Parts: sequence; C-alpha cells; structure tokens
Amino acid sequence: MPKHIVRLLILIAAVLIVAFSAKQFLIPDSFYQYGHYRGNAVTEVASKLPKLQGSASCKECHEKEYEVWTTGIHHKATRNNEVQGVVYKYGPGCEVCHTGPAGNHPSKEAMPLSVEDKITSITHPEIKVHPANMAGRKLMLTPREMRDVCLNCHEKLPGRPLEQKQIEVASHSGEEVCTNCHNPHSPRIVYASLPIGKRGNAEAGKAIADTCAGCHGEVGMSLMPEWPNLAGQHFDFLVDSLKSFKSGKRPNETMAPMVEGLNEIDIRNVASYFSKFSCGVSGGDKAMAVLGKAKAENCKACHSAGGLYGSGSAGVSGNPSWPNLAGQNVEYLANTLKAYQDGSRVHPVMTSIAKTLSNDDIEHLAAYYANMKCK
Amino acid sequence: MSKQDKAIKSQKVPMSRRGFLGLLGKGAACTSALACTGAAVGSSLLGEPKHGFQQNDDQLAESINNPPKLDDYNWNDHSWAMGVDTDRCIGCLRCMEACKMENSVQMDAFHHRTWVERYTYLEGSNTAVVDSQADPKNIENAGSETRFRFDNRYKDVKVDKAFFVPKLCNQCEHPSCVQVCPTGATFKAKDGPVLIDTTYCIGCQYCVQACPYGARSFNEVRGVAEKCNWCYHRITKGLNPACVEVCPTGTRIFGDRNDPESPVSLFIKNNHVQVLKPEMGNAPNVFYKGTDKEVV
Repeated sequence: MPKHIVRLLILIAAVLIVAFSAKQFLIPDSFYQYGHYRGNAVTEVASKLPKLQGSASCKECHEKEYEVWTTGIHHKATRNNEVQGVVYKYGPGCEVCHTGPAGNHPSKEAMPLSVEDKITSITHPEIKVHPANMAGRKLMLTPREMRDVCLNCHEKLPGRPLEQKQIEVASHSGEEVCTNCHNPHSPRIVYASLPIGKRGNAEAGKAIADTCAGCHGEVGMSLMPEWPNLAGQHFDFLVDSLKSFKSGKRPNETMAPMVEGLNEIDIRNVASYFSKFSCGVSGGDKAMAVLGKAKAENCKACHSAGGLYGSGSAGVSGNPSWPNLAGQNVEYLANTLKAYQDGSRVHPVMTSIAKTLSNDDIEHLAAYYANMKCK
Repeated sequence: MSKQDKAIKSQKVPMSRRGFLGLLGKGAACTSALACTGAAVGSSLLGEPKHGFQQNDDQLAESINNPPKLDDYNWNDHSWAMGVDTDRCIGCLRCMEACKMENSVQMDAFHHRTWVERYTYLEGSNTAVVDSQADPKNIENAGSETRFRFDNRYKDVKVDKAFFVPKLCNQCEHPSCVQVCPTGATFKAKDGPVLIDTTYCIGCQYCVQACPYGARSFNEVRGVAEKCNWCYHRITKGLNPACVEVCPTGTRIFGDRNDPESPVSLFIKNNHVQVLKPEMGNAPNVFYKGTDKEVV
C-alpha cells in the first residue's frame, strides 16, 4: 500500500477516535435516556418552586380579611364553583387581585393593594419599610390604578359574558374609587349591615320644625314644587344634608342661615321628626315618566331598594345615607340634577353621572321618580 | 377489484409494481418524520404502552422502568390536558399576569407564555377584528406595558358578537417545535407537556417559527426560547397551573385524562370541544369550547 494512503487512513482513524471520544465525553449520560434530549432536564424543570401559594396561605396572617372573603360574594356566589357537576374551584382568590405571588411575600415583589393616601403606617411584622417608600418597585396604587383592579373584570365590555357583573363606568361611579362604597373582599353592598346613626328625638324636633314648616310644610310636604319634600326621607340622609349646609360643603343661600343655630342634637331631632311622617307622591307627567324608566336603570344601583340586581321599589334607596327619590317634587329633582351638571352642587358620584344626562333625560327622570310610589 | 388487479394478485410475484410504487411513496412521505411518527403513534394499540414523540423501544422501556425521580410523582400515571371554556372568559388577563409572576417571564405585553385575544364582529361584518393585550390602544389604556387590560374601544359602535379566547401552548402530540430543535433542548415529556431544557437551548429560534400557534417567544435576556409548560413544576407537585389557579371564572380547566373523573375529562366528555388548527396535524392537547371558526 502506498505510504501516502496509509498516512491518510491513519489520519482518518485518528480523527474518528477523537470525534467518538469527544462525543462520549461531551454528551451527558442521560441524553438519550428517554429520547433525543437530556433526561435529567425533566427533574430540573420540575424542581422549580411554586410561587403562587393559593388563598389558604394568606389565612394565617390575614385572618380577618380571609374571613370576610370566605363568607362573601367574591368567594361564594361566583358561577364557577360547579363545572359539569364537579365542585373544583371557587371565585377570585387572594392572588387574583393581589398580583405578586405570595411565595415572594413579604418582599419587593409582593403587592399590597391600597390607595396611596389611605395608609400612613404599616404594622406588618416582616415589612419594616412602608411599601410606598420601598426601593425598586412602586407598590402602592394610585386611585386610578386602584379602580383598574376592579374594572379589569367588571367594566362593561362587548364580549364579556352576561353572567359577569359589569358596570358602565361613567354612569356607575365616574372617577370615584370603588372601595368607597364596596368592600373589595366581599363587594356586594349589604344595606342591612350598614351602620345607622343614633336616632334623634322626634318630639323635641317638632319645635325646630316649626321654622321649616314655612317652606317644607308642617308634615314635610313642601308648599312649592321647587323645594324638596322631607316627609319619609331617610333619617341619615337628612342629617347628612343639614350638616353639609352647616359646614358649607353643600352651599345653599337659603338653608345655610337656617341651620346655623342648630347643634348636633337639634339636627338629629329635626331629622327624626321629618323622617317619621309618611311620604306622599307629588306626581308628574305620565308620558315623560315612561321615557324616564329606561334611563333610571343607571340610578338603580343606589336609588332602588334592591340595588342593581335585586328587586325592590324604585326610588327608595337601600342605603339610608342616600336619598329616597320616589314621589319627590318633579321640579326639585330636575333642578338638583342640573345643579350637579353646572357644578353648583358637588358630589363625587352624582356629578359625573349628571354630566352624562341631556336636558330631556333630566325631565324624563324627574317625571319618572315623581310618579313612583314611595312606600 | 378489477379483472386486472385480480390477474396481478394471482401472479404471486414477490412485489407488484403497484405495491412497490406505494412503498416508494410512503418512503418519500417518511422523509418528513412527522408522517412517520404519526404512523408509529397511530399504530400503537390501545392498552399497549404508548411511545413518546420520537422515542424508540429502549427509551420507552427506560421511561417506564426508570422514570425521572420526583417525589410522589410518576410521569407514567398521568396524561395532562387543558380545557378552555371561552363562553366564560371575561378577558381580565389575570392568567397572563399570574403566569408572568410564576414563571418570571419578561414583564411586557409582547413576551408571554399565555395570552388572551378578543374577537369582535362589528355590525354587518362577517370577519372578526382581533386584538390582544399587545395592541397599542390596550397598552395605553392599561397605563403601562407592565399592566394588562382590554380597553373599551367598541362602546360607540354596534357590535354583533364578541368573545375572548385565551391562548397558550397546545402541548401537541406531534409538536413541530420539537421536530425542528437541532440540539434536543425541547422535548415532549411522557405525561404531556413540551418542556425546554434551557441549558441546551442555543437560541436559534427555529422552534419559535415552527409553532403553528405562535405559542413560543424568545427571551432576549436569557437568550433562550420561552414557552408554556403548564407549570410543570406545579403539576408535578399536585397543584394546578398558575393560570388555572387564578382564573376567576373557571374558564380554564385542567386535569389528568387518565382519570375519567378529573375536571378536564368531564369537560371533554360533556361538551362539544374542538382544537385549534386541526388541519396542521399537531394533535393539540388544549380543548376549546365555544369558539368560532375564525379562531386559529
């Protein structure tokens, strides 16, 4: 065999030996164990630690919130606790809204949900620094971000299934933060459980009410349609209104001097006096009232006994802090809405709602509520 | 059978010309390994141990006799699957956010292991307008790229029909991504999920292009491909994947198809389900209920 061929063969053999030994050396033992991949990779992927810990892990430290959640609507009444007859899961758990895995908690990545200006101190045993001051990540939410947490699921969007509770943001709350009315851990408003202020003495209130009778009538039915009927109005709402007149929060040239001399007890007494009378229906244009009915859907959430989803008399507010509208004077109702529109009366929720209404809408709504039965 | 065919059969030649040409055709088809493995999987009879994707007999025996050592978990006992009930999806994108937190995916709208698409049919239109969280208007509405939220862009127009569709890796029976991976860095585990071995991934992104569902993305920070693995580290510990865990409406249903009473088995049994792009032959393991034909 010629010499150069032998050399070539030796060279090829050497290259093959090097290649095969390199292959033996470089390919890990487990590479072809289960297929064309490294068998150990399966264990490596699987050995990562889970970060989301589930709602139950929050219970130990946040006992109170956990209890509110477990007994509330967010946990119970969701429609997904039964799928094909199998109970397998409840509604939104802690980590749905409090994004930021509990596995990292408490740390920079965990994200408590609070409006910035509401929390001034924090007593968490592990977190010494106030989350707002923590370096690296902004943990506290602005009011807008706070609303977004709820609106992620509850803003009315085409495409969301009808069973999902949804709101038209502009007419439901405007710029208001959801947590002003709702407890996020159990958002359905339970009117019966709301604290009701201490009642006044109606007998004692009669003496003061004599001054009011000139405009609002002896039994709370106003003499002029521009003035509101007070008979049967919620006690809490009357107290709130009188206090706002006094503090100037609700500017009113006529009422301000009237309440100036009243103290806390007087206010409760006179409010108690008028709230005891049975209300009357002032009535309004029937044809307009029919048109107003559709528009009044937007008012239901607050100004209907059953709230947004229950059934109950329209215009009788479930929450005693909000006014009854049923049977109220048509002119007064219309003027009030217009006052919210032009800014002469201000309310976080009502101002934004009123701005969505046209003049016709206001006439129709006023007629609708003026015609409703108030009992 | 025609007279001619009978005549050919009666000749008892070792191989007829027809048979030979048929074999030749099959051989040509087998150069694309998809058809080959498809045939191999299809031929395994019910009850016999099933070969994994591109797995020979020795490797199958190894995966049965010597499974990966995990506490209280044997991958031969499970066959994971997911159901998606799009009738329930509200498009809140909590699944996406939870997934990013759980798996440390980049926090922006464009890198994701799971995401949600919105299909909207405007009045009188036969085609759907599709947008997802990565749409500029949705990013603007959410306030930043690290928050995910659909905007209310259709409030002033009439919408005939709209629905949300959550998307994720389909963990196919015949995964195109595994097919094209040059280094064996991605593979199909015996119990279903397609996993990534990040130490072997060279970042060539063939798999990103091969996936017919666009389920893979590239993680520029780590230089490796990124994909959903149904939270393999969770399901091997008896937990649900993160997206299933946080879904507030029960849109996502997860379970073991080997267990006839598992949520996903019941979901598939009791509903009319479909898979996405069945014509691709990937045999997905994510089953959708309530989607239109436009959804791909």
